[in-house]
Amino acid sequence: MLRFIGKRLWDGGLTLAALITLTFFVMRLAPGGPFSKSRKISPEVLANIQKTYHLDEPVWMQFVRYVKGLLTFDLGPSTRFRDYDVGGIIASGLPWSVTIGIWAIIVASLVGIALGVAGAMRRNSPTDYAAGIVGIVGVAVPIFVIGPLMQVIFALRLGWVPVGGIEGGWRALVLPILVLALPNIAYISRLTRSSMIETLRENYVRTARAKGIGERRVVWGHVLKGTLLPVIAYLGPATAAIITGSILIETIFALPGIGRHFVDAALNRDYPLVMGITLLYGALLILLNIVTDLIRAWIDPRLRNGR
Amino acid sequence: MPSTPMTADALLSVRDLRVTFRLPQAEIRAVDGVSFDLNRGEVLGIVGESGSGKSQILFALMGLLAGNGRTAGEAMFGGRNLLALSPRELDRVRGSEMSIVFQDPMTALNPYKRVGDQLAEGLIVHRGLSRDAAWKEAVAMLDRVRIPDPVARAKAYPHQFSGGMRQRVMIAMALLMKPAILLADEPTTALDVTIQAQVLDLIAELARETGTAVILVTHDLGVVARACDRVLVLYGGQVMEEAAIDTLFDRPRHPYTQGLLEAMPRLEGEETARLGTIPGTPSARRGPGCPFAPRCDRSIAICSQEAPMLLTNGSHRIACHVEGADAAA
Repeated sequence: MLRFIGKRLWDGGLTLAALITLTFFVMRLAPGGPFSKSRKISPEVLANIQKTYHLDEPVWMQFVRYVKGLLTFDLGPSTRFRDYDVGGIIASGLPWSVTIGIWAIIVASLVGIALGVAGAMRRNSPTDYAAGIVGIVGVAVPIFVIGPLMQVIFALRLGWVPVGGIEGGWRALVLPILVLALPNIAYISRLTRSSMIETLRENYVRTARAKGIGERRVVWGHVLKGTLLPVIAYLGPATAAIITGSILIETIFALPGIGRHFVDAALNRDYPLVMGITLLYGALLILLNIVTDLIRAWIDPRLRNGR
Repeated sequence: MPSTPMTADALLSVRDLRVTFRLPQAEIRAVDGVSFDLNRGEVLGIVGESGSGKSQILFALMGLLAGNGRTAGEAMFGGRNLLALSPRELDRVRGSEMSIVFQDPMTALNPYKRVGDQLAEGLIVHRGLSRDAAWKEAVAMLDRVRIPDPVARAKAYPHQFSGGMRQRVMIAMALLMKPAILLADEPTTALDVTIQAQVLDLIAELARETGTAVILVTHDLGVVARACDRVLVLYGGQVMEEAAIDTLFDRPRHPYTQGLLEAMPRLEGEETARLGTIPGTPSARRGPGCPFAPRCDRSIAICSQEAPMLLTNGSHRIACHVEGADAAA
């Protein structure tokens, strides 16, 4: 078990190293630089700034400098937000993104799995069709439509929750969490439904029924594990994506998460910030995939050996 | 349907059993008016080729038909009609008074649960045993089906067993509750030939010990010869012939049974003789006549117009216009 985790962490480290290298050089390959968009500045000033951020050095030396910094958890200075370093920017935005993201994943899992199970157990019933409609709406209607719509209804008309911002305490987070959860509810419910329908057809489920242990025990004891395996496989990477922030959600609801920073940073060629957030996402993805594999191996003994 | 003589102490009496499957375009009649009795302690074979409806008889009795399957008729067992029980009543019967061993042991066990837990489950639900007590009985049963080191093996998962061993586990699971009836759906088809005989003998032996009656569904006449007391020959969802094992092998009457026997390889006799075959393939299209008529080399005009009645001569029953006439005499 420990060997398995150790090996996966080692593999993950290699993947991360490749990610760092690739992102670093691809970023520099793109035309323009951090200060090419700013208003006209004299060559002397530009040279001065370039020097401050070591952009005058050859690219490979910049890379060595960056990696050296990483080893001491220094993600470097932001070239856009003066007086801030990348670590500080991430530290200020991440808690918001993580809070909203985790709640969204929890809500999406609970509601999605419940809808999927209900649909699979009563196929072609009104419940099933209702769950199907939620699924289609959740996947097809973009966040920037659902978000403002919910703001109009629940914030402006009914006044239950604030429109946006973070001043309203937990109430301010209800809408973003719901909007972020909706597409995932849709996807998870569809995934659960089809997985459960498939599992219900398994021979071992027929064996369980033949034992006369009652339908409830058949479903909880025999059907659920097989049903949830693909759902868990989806939840790992989905969680990594969700908690690293969403520019749409953060823009619509005026939240200080890191999703917005990421897009801004890419547009402004803020090399260190883009690198920092990419790295964070990559590390989370790798970590959550390991966790996912561990959970799956815990459920399915066939996944335990050999790997 | 002609009235079938009721054996007074029949354990299970199936009368005019019909199983139909509703498809979008059509309705498939898988079992088409089958009647038989199962006596205490006997091993009844049901033979027939693929699609003859033999497995569906078992699934119908256990309430395990696919969602679009419907039953009609009667299956009396201990004063209850199995086909008319509520799900809850059915759950009290299946797994405890009547159990089943499936064809494919590779997929019939839950891959996510320990073998011991899968065995113990029935005892916990039906007999209200504690988990520990149920495990103890499960381990003892694994020992009886000759699984080596049963204490350790009970903790293992199905993928750690071979096919033959998994079928032993299934048999242990089925006989754990000492059911009055064991249904076996081609229990040896998926196994190696050498394992087949062992598993078959195991079923026969344990059934004899516990006094369990067995319905053994198979397409393998060798299996029938080895294990059964009485045989039901099925074709197109209908009973063609029913006889005691010796009678069936020595004096088969129905042209279909005769064809089946000729298609069976024998160790004795001339080596060069070619195996017999029955021309044609089973067809789902059903006219009013005998289902076997299109493939029967002895069919006469009436065969394709009118279904033959199942006529009884002692314990020998046969449904055939050609052969049946003198059986009734």
